[in-house]
Amino acid sequence: MSDLAISTLRTEVKRERSAFGSLRMVQTACIFIIALVVVSPLFMLVIASLKDDRFQILADMGSFRAFWVSNPTLANFAEVGNLSGELAFGRYLLNSLFILATTVGAGLIVNSMAGFVLAWGSLRGRALILSLVIALYVIPQESIIMPLVIMVSRAGMTDTFAVQIVPWVASPLYIFLFHQFFAQLPKELFEAAEMDGASVFRIYRSIFLPLSLPALATVSILMGIETWNQYLWPILVTQTDYARPIAVAIATFFGQDSIFWDRAMAASVLMMIPILALYLAFQRWFVSSFVGSAVKG
Amino acid sequence: MTLQQPALAATAVAARPAIRRDRSRLLQEIGMLAPAVALLTIFLIVPFLLSFWTAMTNQPLVPRPTPVRFIGLTNFLRIFKDDLFWTSLWNVSRFTFWVLPVQCGLAFATALLLHQKLPFRNFFRGLFFLPAITSMVVVCVIWGTLFQYPTGPLNQVIGFLSGGRIQPIDWLGDPNWAMFSIVLLSAWQAYGFQMIVYLAGLQGIPDELYDAARIDGANAIQRFWHVTMPGLRPTHVFVLVITTIQAFKLYTQVAILTQGGPKSSTETVVHYMVRAGFEEQKLGYASAVSVILFLIVLVIALVQRQLLRRYDV
Repeated sequence: MSDLAISTLRTEVKRERSAFGSLRMVQTACIFIIALVVVSPLFMLVIASLKDDRFQILADMGSFRAFWVSNPTLANFAEVGNLSGELAFGRYLLNSLFILATTVGAGLIVNSMAGFVLAWGSLRGRALILSLVIALYVIPQESIIMPLVIMVSRAGMTDTFAVQIVPWVASPLYIFLFHQFFAQLPKELFEAAEMDGASVFRIYRSIFLPLSLPALATVSILMGIETWNQYLWPILVTQTDYARPIAVAIATFFGQDSIFWDRAMAASVLMMIPILALYLAFQRWFVSSFVGSAVKG
Repeated sequence: MTLQQPALAATAVAARPAIRRDRSRLLQEIGMLAPAVALLTIFLIVPFLLSFWTAMTNQPLVPRPTPVRFIGLTNFLRIFKDDLFWTSLWNVSRFTFWVLPVQCGLAFATALLLHQKLPFRNFFRGLFFLPAITSMVVVCVIWGTLFQYPTGPLNQVIGFLSGGRIQPIDWLGDPNWAMFSIVLLSAWQAYGFQMIVYLAGLQGIPDELYDAARIDGANAIQRFWHVTMPGLRPTHVFVLVITTIQAFKLYTQVAILTQGGPKSSTETVVHYMVRAGFEEQKLGYASAVSVILFLIVLVIALVQRQLLRRYDV
């Protein structure tokens, strides 16, 4: 680039900066308006869960009192947080946590192993398997659910934890994401370890897996959200309290003539806490990595 | 050359153990691939293939003493004769028509704003993603209160902003408004994902392109139309297609808040399928609906492929 061009560029940028001073104000204002729209419903949920009187909650809704609680109480949480009985949301929460932990834990192992072999293995037909996996990604959960219900009920798996975990452990999307991540790591890593006589599993376990924190975090968040928010599948395959997840339990509030908003709000806040914790723990690695590969796929 | 000589000799000596190592390596690879392949086969491929078979039978939900019969395309013919199915297809199309501009537009605008070097932009990015991690059931609890008629928060805000000129709206109870209300809460819940995709797309456009455009004397608006927009083409295709596919699978919010009503104005394809399968217990019929749903999604995905190929990515 010539000096002239650079100096033109500089004055241009400078001129724009001063013109953008007012634009910057507009932009910041827009951000705050969006933030208000995004956050105020969530804020209202938390505030309402701290109010004891369900009629008061609805009466407050129309005014700014929806965003203020004068004497906060945890009574709603105490009411719904039981481990057994009618409002056993403590139990449903634990059920969901167990399903979340096992699905995501098993999913990380199974999908990353498959992604690794598809990226670095010596198997013939790897490319074929990979394109098959990508093709399977098109099949929506909704369109296999009917035969799957017959299959699991024939296998006697209805109303268990396993029926909510095992079918969703392996996933074309996450195998593909792991494949994309492993494939872009340098070839020398694999070759050097192979020269030292390390086995394929050893190379995966000791070299590639420790390097794949961004991929692990991304898949954890995506899979976590997906598992935590499952609704259609568990209403079809759970009937009793035994393995009922919290999402299904909260939805039952809507079947009643008048909704106990205080309880529904408290249960909702309970349901938000674990997934929020997961998101906050992993979000540092999340944003940058997953999207690029998804778009190209 | 001299360096390669000993290496070659070593290969020759090690040839036999290498073969054995190859075999154990192959076994290990198969072992590492097996869990995923087995699970995908049992829980994805088999039910997928079964759905085509079940769709052509009169399979009930609860086993009956009479054997399941093969009835050809009867289920499909019945579906195509059912007005409610066409209504549900029309409704998800209406939903898509509204949710695409609202959700993707909001996501795109937010991403453009956050792509500037604003203070606290990482904070805001994390904040704007919060609804996306919120379960749809919880979203329904929140918006169920916001939509309260006639004195819910949304009606109060609109009444306040319009100086009382706009009458309270029965968001979920009025057939003319119910689907639009579902659009509002769905866009609010899901736009964070699209925002992240757009942010990644914006980061993928090299700064040099903007610098070059500046030198050529392009102003901000010209740079937006001639650098940003072409650079985002694959991102736009991806976002629009993913959002359309999600829209056609609309279920949870409708099942919880309106059960397809009022007057079938929020009936959707998946809700129609679940009702056929589990309330009317006609699993064969429901499977036929699921096959149709798959074909719709497949067509949308193929369109995406074609578009992406045209943009050469």
